[in-house]
Amino acid sequence: MSLHLRILLGLIVVAYFWLILYFIKKKMLALKYILLWLFSGLVMGILVLFPQLLEIFVKLVGIETPMYGLFLVGIFFILLILMSLTAIVSKQTERIKNLAQNHAMLEKRLRELEK
Amino acid sequence: MKALVIIPAYNEAENIEKVVKNLEKSVPQMDYLIINDCSKDNTVLLCKKNHYNFLSLPINLGIGGGVQAGYKYALEYGYEIAIQHDGDGQHDPEYIENVIQPILNGQADITIGSRFLEKEGFQSSVTRRAGIKFLSKLIQVCCGASVQDVTSGFRAVNRKYIEFYAADYPSDYPEPEAIVTAKLDGARIQEIPVIMRERQNGVSSINLKRSIYYMIKVSIAILICRLTNRRK
Repeated sequence: MSLHLRILLGLIVVAYFWLILYFIKKKMLALKYILLWLFSGLVMGILVLFPQLLEIFVKLVGIETPMYGLFLVGIFFILLILMSLTAIVSKQTERIKNLAQNHAMLEKRLRELEK
Repeated sequence: MKALVIIPAYNEAENIEKVVKNLEKSVPQMDYLIINDCSKDNTVLLCKKNHYNFLSLPINLGIGGGVQAGYKYALEYGYEIAIQHDGDGQHDPEYIENVIQPILNGQADITIGSRFLEKEGFQSSVTRRAGIKFLSKLIQVCCGASVQDVTSGFRAVNRKYIEFYAADYPSDYPEPEAIVTAKLDGARIQEIPVIMRERQNGVSSINLKRSIYYMIKVSIAILICRLTNRRK
C-alpha cells in the first residue's frame, strides 16, 4: 500500500470516527446500536496503521493485492452491520405489534368503561 | 363452553353488518369479536353505530397480527374455544357447530373448515387451487399434517392453542404457517368439510403480484419453520 493511499485511508477513518461521535453527541444515534460501527472502524484503523497485518492476511487467503483484502474486510463489516440492522428492525416490528394489540385491548376497555 | 368468534376485518364496511347478522342468527350463544385492522373505510364507524363487540388496532398489522389480537383477547377473557371467521362473508356461520364439534369431543386441538373435502361451493380458480395443493403437499412433507385447504381462514382451536397462538402467531399470510407451528408443537389437527361462498363485496387482498410473493414467502416460511423447530 502506498503512503499516499494510507494517508487518505487514515483520514477517512478519522472522519468516520468523528462523524459517529458527532451523531452520538447530537443524540441521533444510540450507543448500543453503533458498537458494531465502532468496532469495524477500529479494525479498519488498525489495518491502515499497520499494513503489515493486511499483507499477512492477504497472503494467508491468497488475494493478489492488499487493497482487495481491505475491500473484503470492509464488505464483511458492512454485511454484519446490515444484518444487525435487520435484526433490530424485526425486533421492533414485533414490539410495535404487541403494543398495537395491547393498545386495542385497552381502548376497548376504556370505551366500555365510558359507557 | 365459552366460545369466541374472531372476525378479522380490513375494509369490510360492505360486508360486516351481514356477517354479524348471520352469526347472531346461526350461533346466538357465542360471543364474537371483530378486529378492525385499521381499515380505511368506515368499518369502525359501523362497529360503533351498531354497538358491535370490536377491537380497533391503531396501526395496520395485517391478518396475522389481527388474528393474534383476537387470540390474546380470548386468552385474557377466559374463552375455551376460539373460532376464526373471515369478515368478508366467505364463511357460512351455519358450519361453526360442525367445525367445533371435534374440539368439543376432545378429538382435535385445531379444526379447519375445508372447501375441498366435499368439493362443494366456491372452489377458487384453477391456478389458486394448484398453489394450495402445492402448499398442502409441502406441509405434509415438512410436518406430517395432512390438510387440504391450508389457506382456509375458517378455523377453531381449543384453550391450549388459544394460549399457543396468543403467544406466537405468524404474520403476513399466516394460515399455512400456523398449521406447521401447531403441528410441530404436537397439535391434533382435523379438517371439516364446509361450503364457502365467493366473497360478497369489496376486493380480495390477493392479486397476481401478491400471489407470487405469497407462494414464495409461504413456502420459505414453512421450510424455515421446519428447520428451526423441533418436533414435540
